[in-house]
Amino acid sequence: MKIKVRKYDLASKTVATVIIALIGLMFVLPLFWMISASLQINGDIYKYPFQWIPTLPRWENYAEIWNSGEVPLLTMYGNSIFIVVFTNLGIMFVSILAAYAFAKLQFKGKGIVFSMFICVMMIPSQVTVVPRFLLFKDLSLYNTLWAVILPALFSVTSIFLMRQFFMTVPDSLLESAFLDGAGHFRILTQIMLPLTKPTVASLLIMNFVTCWNDYFNPLVFLPSKKYYTVSLGIQYYYTQEVPSTNLTMAMSVCAILPVLILFFTCQKFFIESITSSGVKG
Amino acid sequence: MRRKQDTLTAWLFLAPALIIFLVLIVYPIGLSGYASFTKWKYTAGLKGMKWYGFQNYINIFKDINFSSAIENTFLYVLITVPISILLSLIFAYLLNNKVFLPKTLRLFYFIPYIANAVAIATLFQSWFRTDGLINNILSIFSNDTVGLKWMTDKNLCKIPVMVMLVWTSLGYLIIIYMGALQNVSSDLYEAAEIDGASKTKQFIHITFPMVSQTTFYLIIVRMIAVFKVFVSVNVMSMKNPARYNTSIMVEVYNTAFSKMQFGKACAEAWILVLIVLFFTAVQFVGQKKWVHY
Repeated sequence: MKIKVRKYDLASKTVATVIIALIGLMFVLPLFWMISASLQINGDIYKYPFQWIPTLPRWENYAEIWNSGEVPLLTMYGNSIFIVVFTNLGIMFVSILAAYAFAKLQFKGKGIVFSMFICVMMIPSQVTVVPRFLLFKDLSLYNTLWAVILPALFSVTSIFLMRQFFMTVPDSLLESAFLDGAGHFRILTQIMLPLTKPTVASLLIMNFVTCWNDYFNPLVFLPSKKYYTVSLGIQYYYTQEVPSTNLTMAMSVCAILPVLILFFTCQKFFIESITSSGVKG
Repeated sequence: MRRKQDTLTAWLFLAPALIIFLVLIVYPIGLSGYASFTKWKYTAGLKGMKWYGFQNYINIFKDINFSSAIENTFLYVLITVPISILLSLIFAYLLNNKVFLPKTLRLFYFIPYIANAVAIATLFQSWFRTDGLINNILSIFSNDTVGLKWMTDKNLCKIPVMVMLVWTSLGYLIIIYMGALQNVSSDLYEAAEIDGASKTKQFIHITFPMVSQTTFYLIIVRMIAVFKVFVSVNVMSMKNPARYNTSIMVEVYNTAFSKMQFGKACAEAWILVLIVLFFTAVQFVGQKKWVHY
């Protein structure tokens, strides 16, 4: 049904657009501030009024964090990328197999395992940090990137979302493959997986962002500077004795930029990953 | 289908998930539960645990830092959750068909949600410094605000944390609300229009009740997230050793990794778990009772 657009509707729509856009601007303004501050000398950042567009942009700040002797930018990017790539690959491997078992296989104990997963989902993972700390020390995984990667591989949300998707694939499709002599592994890799691309993409994006922005786990498990991730890099500049807001902001820009680029290129999947994980069953 | 082989395949497929689940999640949960009743000399490893009864739990409630952490965390929840929910509902309502280019505009609101929280926390720390942007802007309006100590004052230092909690949450909430609002039938609004109901009345009497299920869900999700607040508080309090703005998770972290009191840290973490479980239970029970359809 179509509602006729009346004149006052058009006017009120324009007013609403302007208001929403102005408020929306407040949400990106901090990013502009961040970029401006990252291009100034530290003393100028707290001068009044703030220079939103620096007259003499100081690109040397970026060179400084790039060339830093203790925490070179590339090392931190490398660590973060390593963690993100292996976490994501691992989550996909673990979740797709488990989801297929839950969605398409009949076996004893399915209900129990499934409800165990649900129960644990409610317990915040932070409670396990102390035992994990000791466990990883014992296994000599403490202060290696794997200490951050391994616990993240079990993602209940990813398993559930994949399972939900697999359940929508009709059993008849599987059965005809069975008749042709295909096993479960072949059905999964050759029939199911090609169908799951959109779901996988949403999950990858969701897990990429969580993983890239993670702070708590690297903070606890990665004390050496050579293993610093981008989040710890920001903290490094932030906690320097010499005030260096400009470098902190330059590092922040470097940490946010990859996520923003991804966001603007794959908006659709971002929104999808939110709506699908937010839907309550 | 082929039953017997199915069982074997199923367990094979589940094996990776189960192994990580048991070793890195179930075992640590159990161990931390047990550890919360022990005094733990961690250098001696697992052997360093000595039964301590409820002493850790008694001690944490006598601990000034932890009591103020509980107090602050509840304050953060009480203040930021309603504000986040209300603002996001209003924005989502306006973004849904009330403005031009809704899909482009909502992107703005989404950015804080995906931006690195450490970056945002350091940025807010700069803005709320005595000589920072916030005080500069406030000084335009009034002279009384010169030199407000947002970061170090006992009470004021909680405000930057709350601003950040609201600011970073809206993107997610707006997306979910926009989806929910699209499911509200336009017939209802048309009927109200014919009856002469104003836009505000339509919002209160149609929109609000029709999305109550989503609202209830989002309130719980936000409450749980805010109860676990860590990044903003930890980063902002690094430059404020008194930690007046401390939260439960920040205390867990400090007890464990600054004071190395592992048993006590586990007890503190379990208080958080109990709080979160309580509100999850409320969600299960309450969903049926308080939600209009």
